[in-house]
Amino acid sequence: MHITKRYILPVLLLGLSACSSLDEQPVSQLVTQEFYKDGAQADAAVVATYRKLYETGQSLYNSLFQIGVEMATDDYEAGPRARNAHVRAISGLTHDASNDRMEQLWRQSYDAINAANIAIDRIAVIPDGKITAVLQARLTNEAKFLRALHYFNLVRWFGDVPIVLHEPKDLSPEALYVTKSPAAAVYQQIITDLQAAENLPAPGVYGKNDIGRATSGAAKSLLAKVYLTKEDWANAAAKSKEVIDAKWYALFDDYADVFNTATKNGKEHIFSAQFLGNAGYQGNSLGSRSAPNEVPGINGDYADALHKQGKLYESFSSTDTRKAVTFITEMVSPVDGKTYTFEPHLHKYYDPAATGNQGQSSKNLPIIRYAEVLLIYAEAVNELQGPTAAAYEAIDEVRERAHITKLKDVAPALSAANFRDSVFQERRKELVYEYQRWFDLVRRGPDYYVRTLHAAGKTLAAPKHIRFPTPQRELNLNPNLKQDPLWINN
Amino acid sequence: MPRHRHAWPVLFTAVFSLLLLAAISGNAQTQPLINSRLTGRIVDAKTREPLPGATVQIKGTTHGVLTDGEGRFAFVTGQPFPYTLIITSLGYRKAEVIVENGQIEIPLEPAQSQLNDVVVIGYGTQKKSDLTGAIASVSGPLLKQPVSSFDQALKGAAPGVQVTQTSGQPGGGVSIRIRGGASIQGGNEPLYVIDGFPVYNNAVTAGTITGTPVNPLSGINPSDIESIDILKDASATAIYGSRGANGVVIITTKKGRADRSTLSYEGTYGVQSLRKKVDVLNGRDFAKLRNDVLYDVTPAKGKFQYLTQQQIDSVGNGTDWQDAAFRSAPQQNHQLTLSGGTAKTRYYLSGNYFRQDGIIRNTDFNRLGIRANIDAQPFDRLKTGVNITASRSDANVAPSGIVSSLLFMPPTATIYEADGSYTLRNPFENIFANPIASINETKNKATTNRFFGTAFADFKVLEGLQVKVLFGTDVNNTQEKYYIPATIYEGLPTKGNAGRGEYTSYSWLNENTVSYSRRSGQHSFDVLGGFTQQEFSSDVVRTGAQQFVSDALSYNSLQSGATLLRPWSEASKWVLHSWLGRVNYNFDSRYYFTASIRADGSSRFGKGNKWGYFPSAAASWRVSNEPFFKNLSRNISDLKVRASFGTTGNLEIGEYQSLATLYSLTYLFGGTTATGFAPSRLPNDKLGWETTVQYNAGIDIGFFDNRLSVSLDAYQKKTRDLLLSVEIPWTSGQTSSLQNFGSVSNKGLELAVSSKNFLGEFTWTTDANASINRNEVLSLGNGARSYISGSYIIQVGKPLGSFYGTVTDGILQTGEEHTKGKFTGSAAPKPGDRLYKDINGDGTFTTAADRTIIGDAQPDVILGLSNNFSWKGFALSVFFQGSLGNQILNGNLQSLELFTGQQNAAGSARDRWTPENPSQTIPRAKLDPAPVFSDRFIEDGSFIRLKNVSLSYTLPKHITGKISSIQLYVSAQNLATWTNYTGFDPEVTSGSNVSPGTDQGIYPVSRTFTGGLKISL
Repeated sequence: MHITKRYILPVLLLGLSACSSLDEQPVSQLVTQEFYKDGAQADAAVVATYRKLYETGQSLYNSLFQIGVEMATDDYEAGPRARNAHVRAISGLTHDASNDRMEQLWRQSYDAINAANIAIDRIAVIPDGKITAVLQARLTNEAKFLRALHYFNLVRWFGDVPIVLHEPKDLSPEALYVTKSPAAAVYQQIITDLQAAENLPAPGVYGKNDIGRATSGAAKSLLAKVYLTKEDWANAAAKSKEVIDAKWYALFDDYADVFNTATKNGKEHIFSAQFLGNAGYQGNSLGSRSAPNEVPGINGDYADALHKQGKLYESFSSTDTRKAVTFITEMVSPVDGKTYTFEPHLHKYYDPAATGNQGQSSKNLPIIRYAEVLLIYAEAVNELQGPTAAAYEAIDEVRERAHITKLKDVAPALSAANFRDSVFQERRKELVYEYQRWFDLVRRGPDYYVRTLHAAGKTLAAPKHIRFPTPQRELNLNPNLKQDPLWINN
Repeated sequence: MPRHRHAWPVLFTAVFSLLLLAAISGNAQTQPLINSRLTGRIVDAKTREPLPGATVQIKGTTHGVLTDGEGRFAFVTGQPFPYTLIITSLGYRKAEVIVENGQIEIPLEPAQSQLNDVVVIGYGTQKKSDLTGAIASVSGPLLKQPVSSFDQALKGAAPGVQVTQTSGQPGGGVSIRIRGGASIQGGNEPLYVIDGFPVYNNAVTAGTITGTPVNPLSGINPSDIESIDILKDASATAIYGSRGANGVVIITTKKGRADRSTLSYEGTYGVQSLRKKVDVLNGRDFAKLRNDVLYDVTPAKGKFQYLTQQQIDSVGNGTDWQDAAFRSAPQQNHQLTLSGGTAKTRYYLSGNYFRQDGIIRNTDFNRLGIRANIDAQPFDRLKTGVNITASRSDANVAPSGIVSSLLFMPPTATIYEADGSYTLRNPFENIFANPIASINETKNKATTNRFFGTAFADFKVLEGLQVKVLFGTDVNNTQEKYYIPATIYEGLPTKGNAGRGEYTSYSWLNENTVSYSRRSGQHSFDVLGGFTQQEFSSDVVRTGAQQFVSDALSYNSLQSGATLLRPWSEASKWVLHSWLGRVNYNFDSRYYFTASIRADGSSRFGKGNKWGYFPSAAASWRVSNEPFFKNLSRNISDLKVRASFGTTGNLEIGEYQSLATLYSLTYLFGGTTATGFAPSRLPNDKLGWETTVQYNAGIDIGFFDNRLSVSLDAYQKKTRDLLLSVEIPWTSGQTSSLQNFGSVSNKGLELAVSSKNFLGEFTWTTDANASINRNEVLSLGNGARSYISGSYIIQVGKPLGSFYGTVTDGILQTGEEHTKGKFTGSAAPKPGDRLYKDINGDGTFTTAADRTIIGDAQPDVILGLSNNFSWKGFALSVFFQGSLGNQILNGNLQSLELFTGQQNAAGSARDRWTPENPSQTIPRAKLDPAPVFSDRFIEDGSFIRLKNVSLSYTLPKHITGKISSIQLYVSAQNLATWTNYTGFDPEVTSGSNVSPGTDQGIYPVSRTFTGGLKISL
């Protein structure tokens, strides 16, 4: 026994004096439970939510809208370098519920919503003294603005969708198996969030280092668009009028300034996805996706192409200053100095400062801008009261800036239906490559959508295509989800 | 603790005094009567090498001596001549010799049986005859193959051990599955225990360089390894607990031999070359293909839109990109070893330089290493030792994607433009860089310094009772350097891209064990107990810059880049605390029992699940030692049956996986950076290890005095609580969550046969092994039946590595457009399009819906066959290795059979469908860049390979004179291969858990001829 005591125990005791603990203490990662404790950390939660506008790779406002949605319109198609079968499927309207780009629309939107939910829930319980009430309210409302934006996208793409307002507590079925809510309830949630976001600081109030955050102007503008989409014309007209009358915003004199990096976040911009190339961020990849690949030194991808049969390019009048900003047909190679001419390529996000590396384009992507508010107002007023002078005035402000004849001068006595067509036509030309076309087509109903696409040679377009199917993956993993009736047996 | 610290000096003093006393009393002996004087020498009967440490005893007396380093012994006794000597030495047959006079040389025949061989098991050793578990040992010629890391030498070496080379890159890795892979997302590699130090072989990089990372085990010099023991069943591996489920490979390095100093130099020089090129089109044929494609797209522009017939004729063969990249490359190895010792101190010191140039230009691996193994017995009751290795290796790694680009680059493109600058890229629509420019100009280097060592003290408390304390450390530092100059395509956008990265890891180990062994009559006990702790921490830093004014500074002046890349750093750590215990008992060398248990506490798991317990039990019956057996069979010299079961675990999931950690993201406000944090995952407090329950039954039979021995093992392994990234609905904000879900089973048979065909002056021995393993997914998380991962499916009832794709059904012929066109998957089918089977029977073909399992990467049988011949000084070793019944996804072919004319195509394009050549198997040329994965690209991956042939000649003693031995040898690696596989090599494929058996752009292995020389003084 004494041997045990003298020699063996000491050896084993060496063991008991284990120098290290089994508890994991990550040194280079933060853990959820220990975070969200003060104003700075609350801000970090909201910053993360902003970043989820485009996180990495093909992400929502950094090309996913283009390849996952806009390809399914009369204006765009998968370019020669778009090799991905899923992108080509959307472009050719052969996509199904397993299309991975479309799945990403769903995934990334809910990812962003979840980031907003975490921010809203966790900021709410930060004790007084750790955060000012003003900051607490502002950050919460920014998160609500972003959450509303994503739900607005989801409800338009997928119709009825689950409303998730809190982070899942655990991995239990109750926490994970959510059910769909009717589109009307989703819209109600969007409106509730945006109404809260209307309390955000007015445009111009943020300091220099906060430019780009959501403002009350952004909330009101987006709210006007939500009402418009719901065909709640009165509220759409009222809300857009409120924005116009506040005089926070104005059109740039030169359409090119909408996309110039020097005039970023200018007077016309209401809310944009912010990009900066070569700074450890992703640039706006649309710069590269639209650029030609045959010009030496440009290194374009040419994956986003114009759908020629849609005749978008031809629809611009020769005086229209938007044409040269929107498209390009020739370039000088920085390598051999020769001029190359080609079919019209989309050009809005081509950044001359990132020659040869357009993936690092620093051009912002407008999510909503003042020209659109004017067009929302024109459309809503027309639907309410017919083409009034105020409606004409709003659309003509946009046309005038583009240096095309005022509608009042060309067609002063349009019917409400024709005026509606004019507004849509103006939206189409004003907002090219700004992720708007598909929404505008489906807003007018399945017949219109199918007719327009068939006329443009995309003959596989069918009524079901006014929505995307609920991703098959989600149906497989969540027994409470049902496929959209439009996509059952279709 | 302080109280115990005082115990040691006291103890040392006591032991030292005892020793002194013994020495003094020795001198005080009285002189005995002398009747005879004998001096002699014991040598190996075959090699005539002296045998140190042999016991020489005079029969009928207790008088015995040990031979010295020269094999010499002497007797000065009262015993008159003649008398009989009994000589015993481990590994040799016992000899009895009658001596008549004063001088004798006695040759000893090597033992036929390896039953007395000592096998290294976890935390100890055991005689092979006493084993209850399934353990394979590898030593001898197989370990002498010219490879950069020892794991490559395990191919075909033992039954149940499947070794896949994952890259032929010098210093490249292998993937090892012992008795099949069970984990889907966790690690499947075995645990390596190198001189007592457990290492999981994770090829981690700092993330700066591209391509296949260097195999960390290549830092250890294979020439320093004495033996490799592979623990396979639960009885053997359960002592390694939560790290034992994938098997354990125990590496023992060489030790000095007592009383015999040897200085030896060994040098080899070899030449490696590509075994076979992949058949792709030459310039002429490619030009025709591209013309066909362009004509198909716009017939109006005619049939010669790319090149005219005249131009085609002048193109000739064009550029052979494989010839431009592959070369025959030298490989050399130099080793200087000094070993020896006295009865109380033994040492083994070696220095090694290994250099292997890759068969792709600008790739290489070289290692400079030293090893010092020292064992000392400073006091009778204390044994101590250190095993230390330090090495530095440098590798120039092939940038990723190079091998694919070599195949895809059109032969009509040239390496250089007319002005001498590099052609930048594939001139056609599928844009990728000129691979020769990438190989030549990209700097992609990894330099690793590794220090690895263990030190122990083993104290004998009482007879049979040992206390052992072991400390070990493994320090690894890898520096990575990367530069892409602005002059090549990849460097254009960034105008020069430099990166530096550093990965540092540090692990320490402390093991404290107590062992007690006791023989009492027919009972024999060995008991082991202990506590161990291991801690591992790692750091990664990387940074970089772009936009350099000059390429001259490369990665050496990051500050001169106009754009600095965001730096990155991270750190992680794990801790493992363990208690272990084992009892071995045998009764009369007939009935053996082993029971072991290990309790592991790991930091990697969820709060509520830190500790796990891994028991095992085994029994064996040595039938041949039963009294009744002797009468049963005279031919059977040994017979043993074994059975075992036990539980082991797998914790290779990385750190912090149970926690809801946050990751950082940045966004821009007002053009400046704001940093945000978002959760990476949902927390899972219940996260635990994968548990494998394994049953093993085996039989070992020796025939004809053990000249023929056969071992057969059958096992069943069921792994449950798989660490699975279970898909969860995206509405949760996450994609998946790591949970313990699902199970996989592996069942198999292993056969090993060892035969001494001839003995004597000409010896011929044969070792053969064959094994089969059947892998099956039993269940998956959340009741899922299957999930698809790229070209693979993981499906309940099917093995891991099942290929999931479409099934081809010939070619659409003219006139069939309306009947069969819908089975082409094309909106506008044309004759010459490939037809596919309508798997789901919906009357049409779609790529997504019409897929099925079209093969799997699991072999039916793996084989190894080694024949060794020796005659006089010649020794010939011939080693075959094989794998039968596995399929390979030929990813290179899948891309090469696109026939788009935008990149080069497979040789099969010469037989493609044209109106004049209505092929039934090869489709037409067309501009459809979307590949369809089909059974066309699943090939039989079976192969039999003459892995190694080596012939050596040891010069006779009368020529070498005072030099103890001179050996010359030549060897050939991968000399011949029998396979139907059309790619570079059937042996080199991806080795990942979910997607094994894909050959896509992998650096091919080489055929190597080596010559060498070994001189020992």
